[in-house]
Amino acid sequence: MAARIFMKRPLELGKTFRKASTNLSAFEIQHKSPLVKKQQKIPVALYGGRHAVTMLPGSGIGPELMAYVRDVFRYAGAPVDFETININPNTDESDDLIHAITSIKRNGVAIKGNIETKSEDTEVQSRNVAIRNELDLFINVLNCKSYPGVKCRQSNIDIVIIRQNTEGEYAMLEHESVHGVVESMKIVTQSNSERVARWAFEYAKRHGRKKVTIVHKANIMKLSDGLFLETSRRIAKEYPEIEHNDMIIDNCCMQLVSNPHQFDVMIMTNLYGSIVSNVICGLIGGAGLLSGRNYGDHYAVFEPGTRNTGTAIAGKNIANPIAMLNASVDMLEHLGHQQHADMIQQAIVKTICEDNIQTPDLGGHHSSSDVVQRVIDHIVHSDRT
Amino acid sequence: MAAKLIKILSNLKQSICKISKTSTKVNNVAQGNCQRSPSTGSRFYSSQVRKCTMIPGDGIGPEISQAVQKIFATAKVPIEWETVDVTPVRGPDGKFGIPQAAIDSVNRNKIGLKGPLMTPVGKGHRSLNLALRKEFNLYANVRPCRSLEGYKTLYDNVDVVTIRENTEGEYSGIEHEIVDGVVQSIKLITEEASMRVAEFAFEYTRENKRKKVTAVHKANIMRMSDGLFLRCCRDVAAKFPDIKFEEKYLDTVCLNMVQDPSQYDVLVMPNLYGDIMSDMCAGLVGGLGLTPSGNIGINGALFESVHGTAPDIAGQDKANPTALLLSAVMMLKHMGLVEQARIIETACYETIKEAKYLTGDLGGKAKCSEFTNEICAKISAH
Repeated sequence: MAARIFMKRPLELGKTFRKASTNLSAFEIQHKSPLVKKQQKIPVALYGGRHAVTMLPGSGIGPELMAYVRDVFRYAGAPVDFETININPNTDESDDLIHAITSIKRNGVAIKGNIETKSEDTEVQSRNVAIRNELDLFINVLNCKSYPGVKCRQSNIDIVIIRQNTEGEYAMLEHESVHGVVESMKIVTQSNSERVARWAFEYAKRHGRKKVTIVHKANIMKLSDGLFLETSRRIAKEYPEIEHNDMIIDNCCMQLVSNPHQFDVMIMTNLYGSIVSNVICGLIGGAGLLSGRNYGDHYAVFEPGTRNTGTAIAGKNIANPIAMLNASVDMLEHLGHQQHADMIQQAIVKTICEDNIQTPDLGGHHSSSDVVQRVIDHIVHSDRT
Repeated sequence: MAAKLIKILSNLKQSICKISKTSTKVNNVAQGNCQRSPSTGSRFYSSQVRKCTMIPGDGIGPEISQAVQKIFATAKVPIEWETVDVTPVRGPDGKFGIPQAAIDSVNRNKIGLKGPLMTPVGKGHRSLNLALRKEFNLYANVRPCRSLEGYKTLYDNVDVVTIRENTEGEYSGIEHEIVDGVVQSIKLITEEASMRVAEFAFEYTRENKRKKVTAVHKANIMRMSDGLFLRCCRDVAAKFPDIKFEEKYLDTVCLNMVQDPSQYDVLVMPNLYGDIMSDMCAGLVGGLGLTPSGNIGINGALFESVHGTAPDIAGQDKANPTALLLSAVMMLKHMGLVEQARIIETACYETIKEAKYLTGDLGGKAKCSEFTNEICAKISAH
């Protein structure tokens, strides 16, 4: 009954909403002005001591990795039930998407792979972006820590990337004013920049981090990145014990490939976050290791760090399952099941670093199922109280 | 009366056609030894002395420019340098701008070599680099990044060329504050500019005998803008069937570039991605102090070194002229003086490989003049 009321309320997703209300600009819709939508707090689902978590496998290697997560959770005895929702990439209709978003709102937490949007129609919004914007997941955190056993060019990296997740270059507001001339708008708001900066400094304080670097391009984009930079600097003054500096994005990339150890926590807008996170993932050993966490005020979604669909390696049993397993560990921590999270984390570290069971992308020759089997073995044989 | 006028006009038209026909004939004859530069359309005899504008710049600029001139003199390159100063002067309308003499010089010669310029913060004029770019309509920036033997970095096998659109994209400079606390910045992509840079990229690939062009984009998110850029690249790729063409997302390229740079050959991309990728590739080979850079325009080409002015070591004979020298070599290749370019380039690479005379930034103790002399010696010995 309640669900039906939700379904009837128009959700601002691409052309569905634009057709429905004509007197609101795309920007207002994008940023969910209170006139349009009331953000009602939906109680988080918790049935019988077990958490219900939404699982969105996505496309490409998503479904197989999700199967591994289920296996590992079964052996670890984690009290989590998954509600799986498949989103069809081929269709333009957003029914699956609305269903998925409602489910996440009901459960509060989700784990997802990369959802493909095959449509090249410019009116259809990218589904990943739609999920992030709808749930207002304004922070994306990537905790980049080197694994000692993995072959890579730089070792002992320990950087946290905090990236603005909803606006910036991913606002998806584009138009063709004249034929052959396209304008794409990058939006930066004071409130979002402030939220990100505050969250970042609080995170740094909570986890004992010493330095925060703000990455920007304010010498060229004076107003937009300038606003982001000014806001971050202003918030930084409230945390005098944490050192902060700023760096231009091209210089930052250059420094990352030669000397990444000078960075501790990095804050940036959406696109730069994408670039920097991929560079650091490359330095650590590949896209298959790190997991990313998307946080909003009410919801949290966990996913592999570099949002790759992996269509080329789907179904071949060579995809690296570690990223998705790390995402599941993050999810367990978030839900409060620290013991289970630690158990799986230790099993992962033992498999990768000590036993050196690695998939081809890390330079090993084992298959994904080998890696998962070894993780399960470690879990089964570990000390459990 | 009208008939007479028409006759005069048609005679005029015929004579103009004749003149242009003879000039193209002359140019075709001269083609033998020259490489065609598609954008400038400038051709000349290989034995003719060519004038080039030299902008020494600030800081270490003057000393490295002198080093380059000395090396060119030793190699007997048929170039006459015309040095100009681009320090902004107050124009008649009260605004600061590049002095007219400099503009005229580059317009006349159509080729320029620029040292590092200092853009003072907060002064009354815009960035000089931006002004030069607008003035000469420089639409493509080419940065070849190659690992130098003798200077060890973590990456040994880098041989990438980044070609970046230089006029529009995210750097259009169109920004407004719509509402208090909400700022929008507009990224402009036009078909004309994208076609221009795509065509240049493919022609460059063909002339330099490279194999593959990769278009870097983010069309899954910025569908219309990067989509237009991609479409233009695809259209141009169809005209060059002998060159391999692929399209990759920006994140994938970043990820793969830091793991295995040898899988990329020529990259073509819009302004912002190009800025970041070219600096990242420069970081892979050892930094901006070793990377050449060229800006190709409709009315000419400007080659420059992209490092800073290094005011702390200016005047002490400690500077490394490699970046400016390699940019000058790029300039020679662009002008068609391929043989001399090869000699100078080989001499430079060998000097760095031998590692006997390396400047401070490469880990050695030699002075700039010693490094220059060593290169000159190698050229003379050739």
